[in-house]
Amino acid sequence: MKPVLEFDNIHRAYKAGEDVLAGVTFSLREGEVLGLLGRNGAGKSTLIRIAMGLIVPHQGTVRVFGAEPTGDPVGVRRRIGYVAEDQVLPPAATIAELIAFHKMLFPKWDSTIEADLLDRFSLSRGEKIRNLSKGQARQVALLCALCHRPELLILDEPAGGLDPAARREFLEASIQLLNREGSAILFSSHHMGDVERLGGRIILLDQGKVALDDDLDNLREGISLAFLPASSGRQQTIAAMPGCLRVHEANGELHAIFRGAPDSVSARLYAATGGAAIRCGQAPLEELFVEMVGGRR
Amino acid sequence: MQLFINPAGELSIYRQIMRQITEAIAAGRLKPGDKLPSHRDLAEQIVVAPLTVKKAYDELESGGFIETQRGRGTFVAESAPRPDAVEAPAQLKAAARNLLAQAYLSGLGMREATAALRDAEREMANERRLREKES
Repeated sequence: MKPVLEFDNIHRAYKAGEDVLAGVTFSLREGEVLGLLGRNGAGKSTLIRIAMGLIVPHQGTVRVFGAEPTGDPVGVRRRIGYVAEDQVLPPAATIAELIAFHKMLFPKWDSTIEADLLDRFSLSRGEKIRNLSKGQARQVALLCALCHRPELLILDEPAGGLDPAARREFLEASIQLLNREGSAILFSSHHMGDVERLGGRIILLDQGKVALDDDLDNLREGISLAFLPASSGRQQTIAAMPGCLRVHEANGELHAIFRGAPDSVSARLYAATGGAAIRCGQAPLEELFVEMVGGRR
Repeated sequence: MQLFINPAGELSIYRQIMRQITEAIAAGRLKPGDKLPSHRDLAEQIVVAPLTVKKAYDELESGGFIETQRGRGTFVAESAPRPDAVEAPAQLKAAARNLLAQAYLSGLGMREATAALRDAEREMANERRLREKES
């Protein structure tokens, strides 16, 4: 399958010498769902804005549907659905007016999906944007991103500030899009539960680079988290072992993340440390995230 | 069929789906020949990516629990294997550790844990018998 989105060695800084993105490379295939994870400031939104052609990389190339997003902005935007992190909708407009405006921009606009989503989100067409709750405003933004049946849906922190029920409705609409269109989805999120539900592939950005790039189930089942007592030189020993993704000390204990199943990781650590007491297991995504990028600042 | 998905759970979501379907088969809530929802319908019901449900169905099918009949849908296999026979020993051990930890927390020991295990087995067998009588 051909890629819908390609990042090749992307560099971007906001201050000279401080790269937010320091060589990011990955691509997204047709129909692929990719969750972009990382701490605040890890560069998720910067990367998404580069894909949308809103800012340009200082080095490296980006391709959307095989072309530079800044080359044919209208053509590219018609094939993408985008909800920005801080999406601003015109406050004085009604939902109906906003929809009419989008219909004009997107020839492929589908009124059946529009009616279905208005109904699902319990939105009334005559309501002014300024009278909507934060959750409703995001639902309107999602509606505007979905109704032209995009080949690529880009959601930047779609659930930010939403209550659990509104987040679930957001997910439902995304999953229906997957069922109906098989569109590719690139989304960033801090809600690991939402990330697990949307599934697919995970990319973790850390210190400007791709720290993890793997299938969600591989991460859940192919990575182990081990705890063992700290002692002098032990951290260096473990860091040098093959398959070690990170080892750090917290509260007098070493936390080590390894590729491999718990049993084999545990056995290898036991041998390498000359018989330390080791607790080792698989980690939910939230724990994995914290162990991979936490406690460094 | 109602599934409960817990994204923060110890098992990945496709394994949770597999486990709950095999448990439903073991308890008789799903019987041989019962039709399962399509993977897309189930995905919308439980709000999980369709590919995740498909992966669970594929694994269940290769394990002989369910079968897909082209154009008709997915059904519980006529001679579904007993799930406990294929349950990975490592997972069983993890569950056993949880059971023992719970027992020790309550000030109970191995003897009580074993008794609870037998009790649970009897309960499940009972439930299965009742369901068979009903149908």
